[in-house]
Amino acid sequence: MPKRKLDPLPSAAFQILLSLAGEDLHGYGIMRQVAEQTDGRMRLGPGTLYSSIQTLLEGKFIEEVDRREDARLGEERRRYYRLTSAGRKLARSEAERLADLLRPARAKKILRGDYV
Amino acid sequence: MSEKIYALLLRLFPSHFREAYGEEALQLFRDRARDEKGFFPSVQLWLDLLTDLAFSVPGQYFRIQPALIGASTLRRLDGLPSFFILEDQLPRFGALLLGCVFTLGAVGAISVLLTQVGPYRIFRPWTFQPQRSGSAHSSAFKPAALHAAGEAEGRATASVHSATSATSLPPGDNEPDDTQPNTLLIEDGPESSRPQIPPPGAQKAVAATNRVVNGDATLDAAARHRVIVGAIVTLKEHYIYPDMAQKMAGALLAHERSGDDDAATEGPAFAALLTRQMRDVNPDRHLELVYSQDPLPQHMTGPSAEDLARYRETMKEQNCAFQKVEILPRNIGYLKLNWFPDPSVCRPTATAAMASLNHVDAIIFDLRDNRGGEPEMVALMAAYLFDRPEYWYNPRENTTQKSWTRSPVPGNKLADKPVYILTSDRTFSGAEQFCYDLKMLKRATLIGETTGGGAHSGVFHRIDDHFGMGIPETNPINPYSEADWAETGVPPDVQVKAADALETAVKLVQSKLAKK
Repeated sequence: MPKRKLDPLPSAAFQILLSLAGEDLHGYGIMRQVAEQTDGRMRLGPGTLYSSIQTLLEGKFIEEVDRREDARLGEERRRYYRLTSAGRKLARSEAERLADLLRPARAKKILRGDYV
Repeated sequence: MSEKIYALLLRLFPSHFREAYGEEALQLFRDRARDEKGFFPSVQLWLDLLTDLAFSVPGQYFRIQPALIGASTLRRLDGLPSFFILEDQLPRFGALLLGCVFTLGAVGAISVLLTQVGPYRIFRPWTFQPQRSGSAHSSAFKPAALHAAGEAEGRATASVHSATSATSLPPGDNEPDDTQPNTLLIEDGPESSRPQIPPPGAQKAVAATNRVVNGDATLDAAARHRVIVGAIVTLKEHYIYPDMAQKMAGALLAHERSGDDDAATEGPAFAALLTRQMRDVNPDRHLELVYSQDPLPQHMTGPSAEDLARYRETMKEQNCAFQKVEILPRNIGYLKLNWFPDPSVCRPTATAAMASLNHVDAIIFDLRDNRGGEPEMVALMAAYLFDRPEYWYNPRENTTQKSWTRSPVPGNKLADKPVYILTSDRTFSGAEQFCYDLKMLKRATLIGETTGGGAHSGVFHRIDDHFGMGIPETNPINPYSEADWAETGVPPDVQVKAADALETAVKLVQSKLAKK
């Protein structure tokens, strides 16, 4: 796996990892979850989405799970993706890195908020 | 419909991506299209998709394929070259065909460019034979007017002129010819540096060897004596006045006996010394002894067809040295000519240039960078400035019927228009003939600087490998009281710096035209 592709972790890949933190999702589910968790700022197109999924799969940060049906979306069987422990670790370390970046901003009163 | 369009767009992705995720990408599009109905959501959807394509398609093509990872490591470990198959399928037939077509096209384009070099200079070094570009012979046909400035240019001019003129004259043939120059011109730079006579038609291999063996040899008494004897024989055989030849021979021998030559151990200095000794007795400025670093050929032969072809090509490239032909405000014609090229090649260019200026009210010839050229072209250009044949003095020719301009030129309207010539101290040789004759005929106003002063002429005679003599064998009649421009140059009527000559000329012309 080309490690340099995920170092630094692209924001799309990070958001995908986060979207899968709660439950297994298929592609469209990931897209919607990402849009939701970023307040609609990031709408992943198919190309970007599946390129990132491909990279994450190659790095074993996510894995495919058995196809199943989504009752809300009809009869089609879809490929679902699940976060692996390595993926969870990667997402955590990225979140910590971002938190570290924000800490000085908080200290200098550039950024307000209580979540960091 | 829109799904079909997106399916087509998906084909932009490389096949490995389409196979893995093509169906899912299409599915995602369907899901979004179903959920995002209405005009604005649709526009937003397509905007997203196109942006996504723009970023992710190139990314996929530059993506490192997993099969390649570790390939370099493996190769290093084995120490043997190895191949990795990235695609386990054959390329599509259409892709193969397209590849063939593109390859054939590229190979064809390159070969066409190589054979039809045309004006593409970049390909020139690939197509010229190295032995040709390296020899003095090949450089002989470059117009000196377009060389770099300075003393080197003076020498280059000598090369061009002596080569082109000498080569058009078979040895022993002094009959004037209607189309070709009949004498060899030995020109010198304004700084009086010795010309490096090139070996026109030399056997190049022999010349190259000789240069290595003899090039920098110093002259001892015996070598000097051989040159002096050679010079005397040549003088007695060819100089137009036998009694004068005898006198000069005596002087050369007397100087040798009294040890005047002992200090001259180098070729150029010795040649200059002998020239001085001869001129002390007989002040003929057209007579001189020259030293050539490059060995002189045994026989001067005419230029080869190849040389002529090169000359034609160079002239074509340089527009026959007609650098600028334009009509300035107030209908003043301006012609910048940097060389008087061979009319057999450049007559059409000259005719076209003069025709385009046929209706001007005054004409300015800019000869500030003109280093000379063919006397025939000088006369051809001058013919436009007269409505009847005028005596055209040429120090390089016997006085014949050729010495008249071929005026009037049919259809020409310039014969009665004021003529101005811009000069500089670089204006040289044939260009000076143009200036001198028109000035003497009171047909032109010269503006600028005194010209270079190069009128040396004569037939070149070889003494040995490195020494030769230019001996005038003609007796031209100069009808004017003023001596010609040899060594003194032609003084201008209006003396200004060469750089200001054009501005001054334009002002003069405008005031003259305003008075009319």
